[in-house]
Amino acid sequence: MIVSATDVTRRYGTGEATVDALRGVSVAFPPGQFTAIMGPSGSGKSTLMHILAGLDRPTEGSVVIDGTEIVGLDDAALTQLRRDKLGFIFQSFNLLPVLTAEENILLPLSIAGRKPDKAWVDTLIATVGLGDRLTHRPAELSGGQQQRVAVARALASRPAVVFADEPTGNLDSKTSDEVLQLLRRSVDEFGQTIVMVTHDPESAKIADRLLVLSDGLLAEDSAGVAPTPAAGAAPTADAGA
Amino acid sequence: MRKVALRGLLARKTRLALTALAVALGVTLISGTYVFTDTINRSFDQIFTVSFSKTDVVVSPDDDLGGDDGTTIPLTSDLLRKIRAVDGVDVAEGSISDINGVVLGKDDKPVSSGAPMFIASLQGRVFEALTVADGRLPTAAGEVALDKGTADREGFDLGDRIAVQGKAPKQEFKLVGTTTIAGAESLGGAAFATMTLSEAQRMTGKAGRFDLISIAADDGVDPAALTARLRQVTGPGINVRTGSQQADSASSDIRGGLSILTTALLAFAGISLFVGAFIIFNTFSITVAQRAREFALLRTLGATRRQVLRSVVGEGLTIGVLGSLAGLLLGVLVAKGLKALFSALGIDLPSNGTVLLSRTIIVSLVVGTVVTVLSCIAPALRATRVPPVAALREGVAMPETRSSRLAFPLAVALTGLGVALLVLGLFVVSGSTAALSLTGGGAGAVFLGVALLSPRLVGPLAGVVGAPLQRAFGLTGRLARENSVRQPGRTATTAAALMVGVALVCFASIFAAGAKQTIAEAVDNGLRGQLILQNQAGFGAFTAEAGEAVAKEPGVAVVSPLRGGQTRVDGVQGKQRIVGIDPATFERVYRVQIREGGAEAIRSLKPGQALVSQDYADDNGVGVGDELNVQNPRRETLKWQVTGIVKDKGGLVGPLVVPNAVLADEFSVTNDQLTFVELDQGVDAAAVKQRIDALFSRDFPQAEARTAEQFKSDQRDQINQLLGLIYALLALSVIVSLFGIVNTLVLSITERTRELGMLRAIGTSRKQVKQMIRLEAVITALIGGILGLVLGVGLAVLVTRAIDDFSLSFPVATLVAVLIASGVAGVLAAIMPARRAARLDVLEALAYE
Repeated sequence: MIVSATDVTRRYGTGEATVDALRGVSVAFPPGQFTAIMGPSGSGKSTLMHILAGLDRPTEGSVVIDGTEIVGLDDAALTQLRRDKLGFIFQSFNLLPVLTAEENILLPLSIAGRKPDKAWVDTLIATVGLGDRLTHRPAELSGGQQQRVAVARALASRPAVVFADEPTGNLDSKTSDEVLQLLRRSVDEFGQTIVMVTHDPESAKIADRLLVLSDGLLAEDSAGVAPTPAAGAAPTADAGA
Repeated sequence: MRKVALRGLLARKTRLALTALAVALGVTLISGTYVFTDTINRSFDQIFTVSFSKTDVVVSPDDDLGGDDGTTIPLTSDLLRKIRAVDGVDVAEGSISDINGVVLGKDDKPVSSGAPMFIASLQGRVFEALTVADGRLPTAAGEVALDKGTADREGFDLGDRIAVQGKAPKQEFKLVGTTTIAGAESLGGAAFATMTLSEAQRMTGKAGRFDLISIAADDGVDPAALTARLRQVTGPGINVRTGSQQADSASSDIRGGLSILTTALLAFAGISLFVGAFIIFNTFSITVAQRAREFALLRTLGATRRQVLRSVVGEGLTIGVLGSLAGLLLGVLVAKGLKALFSALGIDLPSNGTVLLSRTIIVSLVVGTVVTVLSCIAPALRATRVPPVAALREGVAMPETRSSRLAFPLAVALTGLGVALLVLGLFVVSGSTAALSLTGGGAGAVFLGVALLSPRLVGPLAGVVGAPLQRAFGLTGRLARENSVRQPGRTATTAAALMVGVALVCFASIFAAGAKQTIAEAVDNGLRGQLILQNQAGFGAFTAEAGEAVAKEPGVAVVSPLRGGQTRVDGVQGKQRIVGIDPATFERVYRVQIREGGAEAIRSLKPGQALVSQDYADDNGVGVGDELNVQNPRRETLKWQVTGIVKDKGGLVGPLVVPNAVLADEFSVTNDQLTFVELDQGVDAAAVKQRIDALFSRDFPQAEARTAEQFKSDQRDQINQLLGLIYALLALSVIVSLFGIVNTLVLSITERTRELGMLRAIGTSRKQVKQMIRLEAVITALIGGILGLVLGVGLAVLVTRAIDDFSLSFPVATLVAVLIASGVAGVLAAIMPARRAARLDVLEALAYE
């Protein structure tokens, strides 16, 4: 398992205002799997992802990423972990406006002070299809192009797992589809592990596995329990493209 | 709407505090200066009122045209006799109060190095203003009383032997008492050695003469009427005043002296406020831009433009009032600090209590508030131009205004105007007040112009500064550089605030270096003698007997004294300096060029003749053979024939040069200002100097002998001391500009919260975030530093051009240090913002809108 969470609970606030965002969730993600997490607002899906990614701390429970227990790590160790093992894709792209597309893609490597692997970078750029726009700044790119840059950025450091938080939330359906296909290809071609939070059932169909959260509990898991109609298999998604 | 403005302020306490502080510091100096000088003035007023409270009429020489040694027309015993005979005079007494004294401490060194030391006599029975603090007043020869301040400072006890030197050589007196006046133990750190009249006259070389005659009128005689009768006997050049007039006149002399200090301190307060204005303008520009959507929302809810304007200006008004109030209160504390500073420099100014005049309160509050409100008007106007529809849009950019389109031509015009004013003030207009205001205004306009131009310079400069940082720090350097040019206007204004302080520091350091160089060259070129005798304080006159005694030492070939006085010349504006020389020996000790009048012009200079400097001749169209009508202190006109024109690169000699005898006879100047000594050839100079040192220590502690090298280094030290004071005052405006950097960074970080969240999420460490912020601050500070350096150098070159024979010299090490210090200042300014940025919670930052 690349990522596994055991009995994770997350409580916000104290006293009367206490909110239990997660009430004991255990889930594991094998390598090379594309998982979608769904659930209504307030179901805890974002909280789960934040905790899995080490951005938030569980009140109780354990999270292991690539063999490392991350609960209790200090900021420096978590930073190092995010740098080495994780990739992020955000709803609002979050590219640095002062850097070119290529520089944005290479940003995680620059931060880590690592030399980019030329062949890998070329492959990535070819895959996201931005060869002619590499010297443009984000302001000169469309939303879809920006998110493709963000995907490439997330993959650049060959992370153990990529977390995508509503990656298509700010995109129209056509560009959404392009970005989802890109994620799909990274799983199929590079064996990338991806965990994606989305509220859009169409987007979720592209995943291998669907988790549904409700009231802080895991309500459905297409890998563990009986398959549900919501869990689209890869071939289906390909067919839809 | 008022609520909106107030809520807006309270929501941003750090920014409020920093912005208010930008105003407060300038106001602090205003209020501090006023409180400080008002307190001193009132103390002196009290002292003078008490001093002359028992005197109906005071007769004193007019000091308009005095000598460098403070001498004026002597009041003779003959005059005293005549005064006593005037109808209505009950008692008249003469007294001595001579500034050319030296009192030695237990360590055999003068008790003061800056403040004057007086030899004074008792004022005479009925007039005595001194209060005995301890012991009694002197009654016999060989007795002295000291002011309590000096006695305490030096640890003297009654019965101790006190060495005093005046015109006459050093002599010991027995301390019989300590005195206060009007409750003050010390008058500005000055020392007062009070003796009987005859002793004071003997010590000051004023046998049969007085510095002051105090008069008590007969009962029922109006002092004012008496003054009119007394004027009949005193003649011109001598003031006859009632006691209260004399006190007022003495007070206004003090005020006049202090007004230079007041003006100088207020100028620095002005600089600091000028810098503060940049900060306020910038802070408001940024916050208005950040709140564009809020304003748009208010507009959609029906707020008028006027209401939006009022809400922003109201915010400025609140900050201005709060900042000014804080400054006013801080100023009272600073006044105490200033007093301590001057005490440390040996100038112990009297200050009884604290004087807070309503003028101080009004000026502080009005100036601080007006500066703040004016600085926020442009941003406030921009806020009104946000269209209501902007409320519905994502990422609103502020609409470009007419003023920003006009910024470039305006900047060029303003810079040009500034340079023009500078040139006008420096080279064209004469008359110091007009020239000074033109120069100051010109410098201000240049600063503003360059500040307006600087948004265009920020890009290239950030490149120059950022490139090495990028090479050294990699990604963080790269991002810092990119961030600093994202909003060039913002960075430019922030940097411009620092630029002002840096420019003035550079200007002062270049000017000082030039002054040192000029003096050194003058000494090297002009001095032919081996030793220079001067007052041990480094300035002021000293007794001529010192030089006369040196002349008797074996190994000394020539002793040639220089003296100084002031006069007015018919047809020439202002007072002119006269330098007295000994024509026979002058050329053996000092070299000046004789431009006209022949090789013998100096040697053959006689009473009734004068040499003029080349500059004086040029300015006033005077040539050899012309006659000058010159006034002496008695208001008599003397006729001097110009017999030569000289050029002294050292500026020591001129504009008018006459024999010392003329200064002595017509201007009563008998003390030396500088005395040059030439030694016999082949003599052991060090041994001779040692003998002279011993002689001075025994008889004339007022004087000291310096070699050329020592003299130069003395001058350097004096300039450095002044420079240190200027740096300290400029530090205030630099501190204000650092607040500006902090403010801009904090606001920029707020804007980039989400970016920072993303950077942290993808693996940027807290250290890297801090470094990025720090480097951005360093780049901003260095842009300010570079602009300031260039401006400072430019100003210095321009200003020194206007001074004749000024050698320009660049203190490269200092200038480099200033640049490095700007960078370090950036690091300091970044401490708080960097910590804030690094502590951001990643999740919250990512969710920030």
